[in-house]
Amino acid sequence: MTDTPPDRREVLRLAAASLALAAAGCDSGPDEFGHPLHGAAEGGGEAASFATVLELGGLGRGVLVRRRGGHAIKLEGNPDHPASLGATDVFAEAAVLSLHDPARSRRVREGGRPRPPAALDAALASVRAELLPRGGAGLLLVTGPIASPTTARLIRAVLQDFPAARWQQHDPLADDAGLEGATRAFGQPVATLPDFALARCVLALGADPLGPGPAQLRLARDWSHARAEGRDRGDLPVLMVAEATPTLTGARADRRLAMREVEPFTRAIATALRVPGLADTGTHPEAAPVAKALLRAGEAAVVLAGPSQPVAVQALAHAINATLGSTVMRHVEPPFARPGPMGDSALAAALAAGAVTHLLVLGVNPAGTAPALRGTMAQRPFSLHLGAHVDETAHLCRWHAPLAHELEGWGDTRAFDGTAAIRQPATTPLVPEARGLDDVLAALLGLAERGEALVRATWQASWGEAGFEPRWRAALEAGVVEGTESPALRPALRADWDPGPPAPPPSGLLAIFAPDPHLLDGRFAENAWLQELPRPLTKTAWGNAVLVAPADAAALGLTAGDEVLVELAGRSLKAPVLPLPAQPSGCVTLPLGGGREAGGEVGTARGFDAALLRDPASPWAAGPVTLRRTGQRAAIIATQTGMPADPPPVLAPGESIPPRAPGPSLYPGWTYEGQAWGMAIDLDSCIGCNACAIACQAENNTPVVGPQEVARGREMHWLRIDLHQAEDHTIFQPVPCMHCEKAPCEVVCPVNATVHDDQGLNLMVYPRCIGTRTCSNNCPYKVRRFNWFDYARSEGGLALRNPDVPVRPRGVIEKCTYCQHRIATARTQARLEGRPVRDGEVETACQRACPTQAITFGDVNDPASAVSRAKEEGRNYALLGELDTRPRTTYLARIAPGDTGSAG
Amino acid sequence: MSRADARTISGVPLARFGLAWWLAFGAAAGGVVLLGVAIAVLLWRGTGVWGTNIPYVWGFDLINYVWWIGVANAASLFAVILVLRRHGLRTAVNRFAEAAALAAVVAAALYPILHLGRPWLFHWVFPYPATTQFWPQFRSTLIWDFWGITSHVLVTGLFWTIGLIPDLATMRERAAARGRRVLALAYGIGALGWRGSMAHWARHQLAYRLVAALLLPLLLAAQTVVALEFATTVMPDWHQARLPLHVVVTGLPSGLGVVLALAALLREGLGLHREIDDGDMRLLSRLTAAAATACLWIYAEELLFGLVLEGPETRAAMAIRAFGTYAAIYWAAVVLTALLPLLLWSDRIGLGAWTAVPIGLLAAAGVWLDRFSLVVAGAERSNLPLPRPPYGPSGWEWGLFLGTIALFALLMLVFARLVPVVSMYEMRHEEAESPAA
Repeated sequence: MTDTPPDRREVLRLAAASLALAAAGCDSGPDEFGHPLHGAAEGGGEAASFATVLELGGLGRGVLVRRRGGHAIKLEGNPDHPASLGATDVFAEAAVLSLHDPARSRRVREGGRPRPPAALDAALASVRAELLPRGGAGLLLVTGPIASPTTARLIRAVLQDFPAARWQQHDPLADDAGLEGATRAFGQPVATLPDFALARCVLALGADPLGPGPAQLRLARDWSHARAEGRDRGDLPVLMVAEATPTLTGARADRRLAMREVEPFTRAIATALRVPGLADTGTHPEAAPVAKALLRAGEAAVVLAGPSQPVAVQALAHAINATLGSTVMRHVEPPFARPGPMGDSALAAALAAGAVTHLLVLGVNPAGTAPALRGTMAQRPFSLHLGAHVDETAHLCRWHAPLAHELEGWGDTRAFDGTAAIRQPATTPLVPEARGLDDVLAALLGLAERGEALVRATWQASWGEAGFEPRWRAALEAGVVEGTESPALRPALRADWDPGPPAPPPSGLLAIFAPDPHLLDGRFAENAWLQELPRPLTKTAWGNAVLVAPADAAALGLTAGDEVLVELAGRSLKAPVLPLPAQPSGCVTLPLGGGREAGGEVGTARGFDAALLRDPASPWAAGPVTLRRTGQRAAIIATQTGMPADPPPVLAPGESIPPRAPGPSLYPGWTYEGQAWGMAIDLDSCIGCNACAIACQAENNTPVVGPQEVARGREMHWLRIDLHQAEDHTIFQPVPCMHCEKAPCEVVCPVNATVHDDQGLNLMVYPRCIGTRTCSNNCPYKVRRFNWFDYARSEGGLALRNPDVPVRPRGVIEKCTYCQHRIATARTQARLEGRPVRDGEVETACQRACPTQAITFGDVNDPASAVSRAKEEGRNYALLGELDTRPRTTYLARIAPGDTGSAG
Repeated sequence: MSRADARTISGVPLARFGLAWWLAFGAAAGGVVLLGVAIAVLLWRGTGVWGTNIPYVWGFDLINYVWWIGVANAASLFAVILVLRRHGLRTAVNRFAEAAALAAVVAAALYPILHLGRPWLFHWVFPYPATTQFWPQFRSTLIWDFWGITSHVLVTGLFWTIGLIPDLATMRERAAARGRRVLALAYGIGALGWRGSMAHWARHQLAYRLVAALLLPLLLAAQTVVALEFATTVMPDWHQARLPLHVVVTGLPSGLGVVLALAALLREGLGLHREIDDGDMRLLSRLTAAAATACLWIYAEELLFGLVLEGPETRAAMAIRAFGTYAAIYWAAVVLTALLPLLLWSDRIGLGAWTAVPIGLLAAAGVWLDRFSLVVAGAERSNLPLPRPPYGPSGWEWGLFLGTIALFALLMLVFARLVPVVSMYEMRHEEAESPAA
């Protein structure tokens, strides 16, 4: 020991070290739920990662759950799962918030009053006793779309025990027309799986393959890879979209044809392609070039029809694909246990048919998503709702039971391509009384098994006893069950496939119903992350608006934020309007998912509920609709209130941007000896899906600030996505911190609270910040966020937070750190193993989430690293490069659409 | 008789004040309570009670700060020029010009602290050997500004105090003569043992003029440093070399306007028609008018440079400031600071209390609007022109602003009550030298 007393920093270091030792010694680790198999060795017990699966529209996307202290704190995509490939969508990222939602239903209730769980078990037992003698007559099971082998097995058993009982699947966004169209075309229900990796020419007819959906991650990945290969070869694949409501696919289309109805256009293409069996021909001015482009791609062309399109369009798409001999489109058996109509009209029919005395609504909220059905659901002698929230349906049912979150319980599911996966609990159960759908079915069947035993029984029946355990463990570890994808079908086109043109829509303004990009039909309305995340094409949050074509808005004298009375078939509601250039005139889009009646504190009355105007008989388009100004203003909450004046560069194929030589600087340079971190964001791959933004929020404990604060311009997302929309193209530009080499923010901070580290990171020292906000003034990219209030502490929900990332107090600035804690973890690991950090070892949260792998991160000092190679591309440019801030984050420019065969 | 004149002035603070003073005092005190509440709410709930956001991170906090500094500077500048030129007018109006400057500096000094996200840590900008082993970031304009405002408060206070010493001694004598011993003691402490010897007078004059000379560059420096807080950023509208000149020159009508209004009010309110005569008022009016003329040139130059000669980014930013969301504020500032005070060239308007007071105050309001346009509208076009939700001040920002106006008024009222508003010794000196005496 020296004589000099240790200075303050030394004392702090020692104190911290001893505290850490004490903590390490005391903590025996959390209780284990599920099998921490996948990558368990990597991080040790605390940082264990669990493979499981989440459903969207009944179909699974594999995820890996990172857990701390027994709590799931972050989900990432499972690279082995075909519907994830390592990426996540906004819904998967937001699942941890839904899991920790303090507003979740926690108690079994009868008539609204809490009851002990045993009372429900007794009630289900008496239902069984009552129904068995009469064969289940009067029993109606309502579930979401079921692809789960175990649930399907249990439902089959229920229907066996109660032969007179009925089962109806319900999803207000179900692709009923697609199923009918496939049956019409092929004589059997067939699911279509386009393989974008092979596609050279895609025509989407109101379809949104790059938009939210159970296959989004896979399709987006394949599309971006095909595009990357095309870029290298100088022969880009072509994506053409004909649609009314603007979608993510439309935004990325090489050619987007905005049209009110797609059917005449489709028929004209079919006519131009001489598709046999056409019941009627058609013409359309745009059809010839599109048909030519399809024809040129031949068997590498594919036509997709979206769920909102009439049966005729679905059948036409199948027929065109058959005529083109498309090998891109694979046909498989639908992954659902019982394919059939699942929309509102199907449920309405099921509720009306027979006398339903016992109504079991399991895991869905039809009263919330289809208000028209409320009347027929109420007043049943026995009704049970199983749901995560005490929602609209819970209020109509006699009994309510809390539904276990997908991360809390056992189960299994199938992906869009049929691949099965087993769902295992990956968190401490947060609601002790919650039960899974399978558990309720088992209770109805009088079975004693619950949870894991039910799933095991299913797979034991399928695999047999011999070698079951290793197989079971392997399936849990990998998160997929090998070799379960649906076999391909080779259905032949029937001769009379064409149902003929549908009745033309009524003249006047047409109302088009579309799912909200983040809330879908309102099922995610209770999730504050999804509410607050700006919608990709409108930049609105915490509400919705009627989307109107600018021409129609001008004709009606409407401007953004005007409140209108929307009248459709005698029903009406008030809503704000938002003119959107991509909206074709002659129709307005009414986004679903808003204005929930019983959506809890977060979800209730955010925007308007378009479902109130929706007729189950024509769920996607109806008319004529009238908009009448009320004279009031209804503020639209948006984080971007117009289009930026200077769009990012768009290059012709092969063109490159000359690199910019660094200018003179007053301050001396710095030599980075070790790693120097950098990022490249490929704007040609970005589809604007928002997964990066919400992944960043989940990873970095970014608080939710609420609608008032977002309206004031105080949202906290560290990564925003700038929307540049012009006549002919839409560019999404994710903007995190640029980590400038010559960071303007650093020199203006009076207290050295934002500084550079020796690897080139521009860091925020939160305890040092006094909140002058000068750094934000001097940040040309405006990526710094300020804690105007004590957002973090007022938020609660601590169990969800990532302990690696500090929570910021009131009055300090925060911003993207390049996931500095992940860099630190990788560095520590590398030092322990006595090796340098490997390229790709550090993945930022945004990079990991990205379905198209548009974000590359790594060491720019290493010329062989992926990020260095990306920055070597001719498309590489720095945002606001003329300011010579020398940002570490650079962009790879968009490539202009190739020849789409269009005249103009 | 000169003795009699000095006695009326000194009699003003010692006489009982009328109802009007008490009403004004009550209103100002109420405003200061509002200030207290606005500060308490700010400290309790956070900066979020204001209407600021990203990118408009600064609102009333910086607007008011820059404005008050401008008021203080122009008032000081006026007093300093008078001292250095030994101008006849200074006998009459310099004392309350100095007082107005001091009160304005006190009002201004609140804002740099309150605008922080964590105001209780404001001492981190002080250069002291902290246990954190950190020094302030000397490259930051905010640190320059810390030095600027600190020097400003110190020197303005010194200037005002030195000028007051002989009069405080007179007040001490008068209070003692009336047998008010405690008051006499209080004045005596302020008078620093002044006995009126020739040596005292000689040193006093030297010190006074020295501090005045010191204040002159400091005034330019203070405004310039404030302007540099904006000019050194990369924001296209702010990042212009002419910004310091703009801030210094457009600051003049506010301080001069406030002094003009105060002079007219004192003249009418306290019946000091003889002490502040038409010549004084004429000079003050014309100075204000001259400042407005200078502003007119500055605005013209700004539009010429900003809209025609600068680079495209700056042109776009300037165009948005002059014709965008906050265009009305910009043009109102031009009218009120550069055009309206031109009326003061006319004696009929400049000498009439009921015309000079509103024009002076409107000029000050115009400069406030100019600061609004600079701080808020100047931030509308950032380098990435992303349309964002606009800035609108919240009720608590208005509370803070009105509260500091009330604080200013309260300080001026207390000053009028407790110390001689017009320099007595200067009056005596002036009258002794004047041929009429």
